Amino acid sequence: MWDALIISPFINTLLFIYNIVGQNFGIAIILFTLLIRVITHPLMVRQIKGAQAMQELQKNEKWIKIQEKYKGDREKLAQEQMALYKELGINPFASCLPTLIQLPIIFGLYQAIISALASTPLDLLRLIRHIYPGLLQVESLIPLNSRFLWMDLGQPERLLIPGLNFGIPVLVVVVVISTYVQGKLIATPSANPKDQTAAMTNMMNLYMPIFMGYLAYTLASGLALYFVASNLIGILQYAMLGKVNWGNVFPFLSKQPASASSGGKKSYSK
Amino acid sequence: MKNTNLLLIGLFLLGAVVLASCGAPLSGSSWPGVSSNGDAVYVAYMQHVYAIRATDGSMIWRFPEKAGRQMFFAAPVLADDQLLVGDYENVLHSLDPNSGVEKWIFTQAQADWIASPLVVGDVILAPNADHFLYALSRNGSLLWKFETGRALWAQPVSDGEVAYQASMDHHVYAINIRTGQKIWSLDVGGAVIYSPTLDPEEGTLYLTTLARNLMAINTQDGSIRWQRKFEGGLWTQPALHDGRLYMGDLQGKVYAISAKDGTEIWTQKVDQPVTGKATVLDSRVVFPTEDGSLIAMTLEGERLWSRTFEGKLYTGPVVIGDRLAVGIAGGKEFLKMVSLDGQDLWTFVPPK
Repeated sequence: MWDALIISPFINTLLFIYNIVGQNFGIAIILFTLLIRVITHPLMVRQIKGAQAMQELQKNEKWIKIQEKYKGDREKLAQEQMALYKELGINPFASCLPTLIQLPIIFGLYQAIISALASTPLDLLRLIRHIYPGLLQVESLIPLNSRFLWMDLGQPERLLIPGLNFGIPVLVVVVVISTYVQGKLIATPSANPKDQTAAMTNMMNLYMPIFMGYLAYTLASGLALYFVASNLIGILQYAMLGKVNWGNVFPFLSKQPASASSGGKKSYSK
Repeated sequence: MKNTNLLLIGLFLLGAVVLASCGAPLSGSSWPGVSSNGDAVYVAYMQHVYAIRATDGSMIWRFPEKAGRQMFFAAPVLADDQLLVGDYENVLHSLDPNSGVEKWIFTQAQADWIASPLVVGDVILAPNADHFLYALSRNGSLLWKFETGRALWAQPVSDGEVAYQASMDHHVYAINIRTGQKIWSLDVGGAVIYSPTLDPEEGTLYLTTLARNLMAINTQDGSIRWQRKFEGGLWTQPALHDGRLYMGDLQGKVYAISAKDGTEIWTQKVDQPVTGKATVLDSRVVFPTEDGSLIAMTLEGERLWSRTFEGKLYTGPVVIGDRLAVGIAGGKEFLKMVSLDGQDLWTFVPPK
């Protein structure tokens, strides 16, 4: 079911792009990531709007009063919160439902790239079975050209420099930086210094780049390329929607350094 | 709000772990590689190479004793006083076949050792997924290397003077073993996964390609003697016996084909994808199928018996006297010894 609905269509689309861009798998990964991001863009917009509505709710007087009044009674607090959501016409799941819908797509994309980079016989047998014979010809397609720039996309990336007897994981550094920058750029400031969500987001912004860097260091560089493409396209999407806080990364661009703080750190909201 | 965000963060982290595990290497990337010298069965599977007594299935040794990062799948090759086996960490090992002690290693390759090496006289011919065929001396020093366009997943074959190497780059190469120079190459129109089969007397190579072709190639000049297109995909090496090629396809058909001109002698349905080389005995042929079955037929295509194992079969059984050693992928057990009529003799259980 998962294979038929997600993995096979993704693999065939990826390989179709690979074929029409002159059998360059690196370009195919970038274009495929872009395509998926464009298709899921409406979901992302809804997610941002939902998150924004929830953010504004934090400043609502009624909301603040309810938090104070029922802070010892979680059940009553939940009831009152639901009533307020209803009154203001806010769907509390509006910010997370689109993300939940996107998750299988992201996993599918990841698995499609892994499958297409088949580097062992059984992986290749599985890949062949995913290919739609009417769309693609196995004989001309296999083996995929996994070379892109200095990388073999089926292997972890290391740039070999003459004179050094070890390779430098350049793409890993790019993954770490782009993940960190993306996290910082899209972080929305919280008015509440005790906001646990903001604290959690800050923690995620710190640990996620390390985790993604670890994945990029150990797994096939095709995936690291996908991480980089996904991060950069994500930043571009947020920028187009006017939701990027450049001041979070470049403090000299910050226009309101003192008023908007997130988790005790200075931030800027556009 | 906080709960939904925490839920999202939790799901994201869970997703990250799932992604990490998706890329976890090689739990089922290939099948057990099995070989034997009659007394011992050598099996390369997952993190170890095992030497097992052929009589009762007890373990003689395993390498390495403690599991590490290395993964072994290519069938070990016995060459007098050494057992050659490559791993998926780019290292080719020479082991003492009696004790499993490492004699030397070759570390100049850049990718996995998916195919087994071939020993011709004093030369070890070792194909690697880094596109190179390496020629080594018996003590592991590099003599020459020959580059092809893509990964090498097939063991070469040789008539003693010339090595024939099939590549994923859609070509077959004839290479002088002494010098490493190319004699000829032929574009066969598709990647070649399994080794060719050589008939040295007729001077013919038989091979299957991912383009669903069975081809007969003249070893003298690399010209095509005949080729035959199949409806189903081919994931096998043709087995040559008495002027016939026995093989099956992924649509679940098995065939006997005339080695002379490629005409079909008989075909039978087995209803399961045939994956791997058939094993031919004097009066019978045994086909491995992906659902874990061994199907024995007479040489005229009449079914004798079938036997299903838990797991999948991607290579035919190895004949050891009057027994068959069966390597099983993805099952609880990965090596079974059965009689010629498919009855269990023993199952290898690796010690913990």
